[in-house]
Amino acid sequence: MLPMEHIHLKNVLQTVCALESVILRSFGPEGGQVLFTRDTGQVMLSRSGARILTALHLEHPLARIVVECVRKHSASVGDGSKTFILLLASCLRMIHATACKEPNVSQSYNSTGAAEASAARRLADKLLAFALTELDDLIAANVVPHGFCVSLEDFTTKTKLPAHSNSLSAKMLLSSFFHTRLGYVHCDFFSDLTCDMLRHWEFKGDQLFSALQFLNDNFPALHTQVSGLPVGSSRLIEGQVIQRDFATPFLQVNKKTVKAVAFTGYLQPKLLNPGDVLELEKTSIMHFNAWTERSVECLIKTLQSLGVSVLFCEAKQSAAVLALATHAGISVVECVSEEELSLFARLSGVTPVSDCWMVQPENVATLSFCRPILLGAHRYAYTSGVFNILVICAPGEGQADQCAKAIQDANRMLLTTMQPVCLHKTTALNKCEITRLHAASLPKDGANRCDIGVLKPGCVIPGGGTFEFLLHCSLLQHHSSVSNPTNTDVHISRILAKALLVVPCQIYCRNPKGFLQTQTRVMKTQNPKPNQAEDPEKGAFMTNTGLDSISCKSQLLLDVLQCVTSLLQVNMMFRTHMALQKTHKITNTSWEQTEDETED
Amino acid sequence: MSRLVKKCPSVCTDLPLSNADVCGKLRLMMELLRSCYGPTARLKQVHNNIGGLVVTTSTSSVLLPAITSSHPLINVMKSSLLSHVHRFSDCGLFAAILCLSLVEQAKLSGVREHAVIRVNNHLLAMCISYLQQDGCSCKVSLDFCRSQNLIALARSVISSKPACVLTELESLHISRLAVHAFLLTVPCSIPGTVSLGKIVTVTIKGHSVLESAVFTGLLVDVPEDNFFDTKDSFSAPLLMVLFSASLAGDLCEVGEGVIQAHPHLDTASQILDQLLELGKQVVKDEVRVFVCQKVIHPVLQRFLRCHGVFVIERLGVALMEPLTQMTGAQPVATLHSTPPAVAYGKIRHLSVKQFGPKKLLHLQPFEESTVCTMVLCHRNETMLNELKVVSQKTEHVLRLTLREPSALLGGGCTETHLAAYIRHKCKNEVSETATGLGCSQTEYLLAVEGFCHSLEFVASSLEHDGGTSVSDLTHAHNWTFPPDILEEQMDGSVGFCGCGVVGSSSSTKWTFLKTEHPGFSPVPVVRDTPVQPSVLDSFAAKLSAFQVAVETANLALDVRYVIQDVN
Repeated sequence: MLPMEHIHLKNVLQTVCALESVILRSFGPEGGQVLFTRDTGQVMLSRSGARILTALHLEHPLARIVVECVRKHSASVGDGSKTFILLLASCLRMIHATACKEPNVSQSYNSTGAAEASAARRLADKLLAFALTELDDLIAANVVPHGFCVSLEDFTTKTKLPAHSNSLSAKMLLSSFFHTRLGYVHCDFFSDLTCDMLRHWEFKGDQLFSALQFLNDNFPALHTQVSGLPVGSSRLIEGQVIQRDFATPFLQVNKKTVKAVAFTGYLQPKLLNPGDVLELEKTSIMHFNAWTERSVECLIKTLQSLGVSVLFCEAKQSAAVLALATHAGISVVECVSEEELSLFARLSGVTPVSDCWMVQPENVATLSFCRPILLGAHRYAYTSGVFNILVICAPGEGQADQCAKAIQDANRMLLTTMQPVCLHKTTALNKCEITRLHAASLPKDGANRCDIGVLKPGCVIPGGGTFEFLLHCSLLQHHSSVSNPTNTDVHISRILAKALLVVPCQIYCRNPKGFLQTQTRVMKTQNPKPNQAEDPEKGAFMTNTGLDSISCKSQLLLDVLQCVTSLLQVNMMFRTHMALQKTHKITNTSWEQTEDETED
Repeated sequence: MSRLVKKCPSVCTDLPLSNADVCGKLRLMMELLRSCYGPTARLKQVHNNIGGLVVTTSTSSVLLPAITSSHPLINVMKSSLLSHVHRFSDCGLFAAILCLSLVEQAKLSGVREHAVIRVNNHLLAMCISYLQQDGCSCKVSLDFCRSQNLIALARSVISSKPACVLTELESLHISRLAVHAFLLTVPCSIPGTVSLGKIVTVTIKGHSVLESAVFTGLLVDVPEDNFFDTKDSFSAPLLMVLFSASLAGDLCEVGEGVIQAHPHLDTASQILDQLLELGKQVVKDEVRVFVCQKVIHPVLQRFLRCHGVFVIERLGVALMEPLTQMTGAQPVATLHSTPPAVAYGKIRHLSVKQFGPKKLLHLQPFEESTVCTMVLCHRNETMLNELKVVSQKTEHVLRLTLREPSALLGGGCTETHLAAYIRHKCKNEVSETATGLGCSQTEYLLAVEGFCHSLEFVASSLEHDGGTSVSDLTHAHNWTFPPDILEEQMDGSVGFCGCGVVGSSSSTKWTFLKTEHPGFSPVPVVRDTPVQPSVLDSFAAKLSAFQVAVETANLALDVRYVIQDVN
């Protein structure tokens, strides 16, 4: 008989609450960092929920499901993994409370636990269905009008205007993101740095959105971490940094342009491959040795005739190659990583040479410079390029890594925010008319307000729980507007409304006054007096609370509800003890590997 | 068969700084590092558990790696302090003591960590901008035409490491040598980008420190029987060849296959023939010095010596770069082709230098060169090791002055001065700054007091013999009074302040460090006094140490949860 365990709603709740208690330490404006040491002794610092949870090595299967959901959410959105856990716990608590109260309508269940479980399951399904059908409209009608749109161009325009110009709010969006990741001290610095990086792409005339995507895909090769310097020394430098030093003494060349070739293999041919047998009868071994040396000489001559003065090699080269290259005035950089070489090839438009007999003029890249650069303790090769490399400095390695991860996630968050909205359902379009009617009563103030009722890319809203307050109110309104009290939808919207309040509660957990102040603010803006001008306090409020992206938030809500449903659908757990067979071992280890990879 | 082990769940610590165990460890580390600070520091002996060499030291670069803690928070702080030391070589203990003291002060004040972090950061920015101002009165600009300040800077580094056991005279001698060697590595008349030369350090045990010396060119340790077995003189410009490949007659770069040789075929002699061929070529080209990074076949060595060529083998990779830089030779690694003429380097003179029983070969550069050798002598090995570390640090500190030609007053005076400056500056606009930083006025004032306390704590850490650290109320410099001084003696002359710029007078008013006293604006010392500061700290290193200390302390305060993977 297999040992099995019934999973009660209580177990699920306990598990999620345990996770919540870890997350709470780093949540909100007063949150701090979490420090990990890995089994390898490596140190990692983080305020990112996804990284904290994946580092826990949890054993409980339910907890692992939750962590997997958070990981997926964070991989696609890049933000909101801590709020994910909070909302999840809150939703489960609400469902638990409601399910317990519900009268046992059917006597077919043999225990109250089973009755509760089935009620909870029903509620979760309904919540998800409600979210899928109604939520987008509610957000579009009641939340979006309070936000405004920023476009990617806003991130790149440099302006000194202190008013709430768009570029200021764009920067604020980044700044409040970095506040949740790196703390108050460095948030402005890093948001400026990220804006600078984006601005640079604009000058290149690239489509900004695709540039952002490129940045997201190639981030590891586009930044260099330096430890031992203060964070304030982080900067952008133009060109590409190859994280290897020159293997030959660097020769000062005062040429206008530098020609370079990338190689993937050995330049000196290996005389014997593994398994080869060389039989010597009359000829001397030195003949063969001389042949390999001569072939290098030939290659160097060819390169010289092409005017090449720098070689980037993926493999480690022999002493003879280095010596001959030095005599010919060619500098060599060896052991270049594959990513850096492919980025170099991609941006210079040449293909790396794999067979060194086949060097063609089209393999030769022309650079405006190539020289050593000293970054912290290391000397690297530094070449010209059409893009900027981010140099991230921090006192320790763990901190530099944390900053790099935060910038990468900021890119991801921007991608989600700026993504053209895909409407999951057709009803949104039908209801547009109604929301437009509704919108007529709302004040129009300037072009930076969103068109009412349509969630546009780049729609943002003041942070500090504003989104949750607004949605809470609109859900309650929705609840009262549906006249039929037996309608189960009513329950659903109330449950969701109450569950949402946990986020502002936690944000202001040390400052209960702030909670009330924000709530009244939001209520006031919800029912504005017709003659009232733009709230003068709004700017100050925004600087205090920062900005959130609406599309990230709505995506988060959907993902949470999906996670709730999938958690509650499980009712029993088998712990199987299998003999470790070959096949299992393989699948197991491969799973471990993928887990490790995603952690990195 | 199966190595699949289930992973253990991680060990978690909530709010590590509220944990008595962690606080105790931090306190211990602070006491340990504090007792190593300054010229009168107490030394530490480092033993390992397998009976290795015992190291006596007070240097942060040796001490910090030796400290390992079971708590990850301490390891993180240590590693970030250590990376500062690696980058700047100086002010490591300053950064460590300041950082640990800031953490402790924040805990004592009971202010929210969040507010402390913000205030610390604000004050750091204030100090940095003050130090970078031209009118900053604890900054001294360095004049490269006069070596006095450079020697003072070098001497402060050397005398703050008591494990070298140097007398006054000896430390002055070593400081002079360090400045001399540093000046030799700066090229004089090369246009374009300047690249600094190298200082190669050679250590000799069992001699007086005063016999240490600096030479231009390189000193190479060569087995004694190799010296001058030919009667020729080695003083004309000598052609030199430098091999980076092994000339021992082995076959490398063949690949991983198998070679089957016929029994009558003598592969070894074939290779040797090739080597001798190479030797003939070199002799034909009138090369007089033959250097190899690795081993040379004895037959080839004999052949070359017979033809009047001086042979140096097993040079080692460390000397390759200085040698190529000095002679202009390019390393050769091919056996089959004749070395091109550009690969040959030139040496002016070859001679033997005798240091007691030890003989070293002196290679002098043909042209002006930026490579020099520093010979360090000391009585025993432990002291010699420390002296070597210190001399390398001094070299680094002197190099940093090229980027930023200024220095800060040492002897704790910069710290007390900054503390007075901050107190005075913060007193004026309390309410605006506090609201700007998002904390209450009380919190702000408490955090500022904690910061100033920490600075003064660092200054008072220089004293280890029971003396009292005080500060004057005019210039806010740091003074140390002997333990047995009486109240009435304090108004008399007590010599000079920590950095040696201010002399005491009967009108000087005193305050004990870390005590309440009325705020005042420190008056800059009148610059036309003939007194030059005797203790200086590197500007670049101290500035970075300051930033790293505050950033590390902020990090430690910000950590709320620790997860340890114990697999």
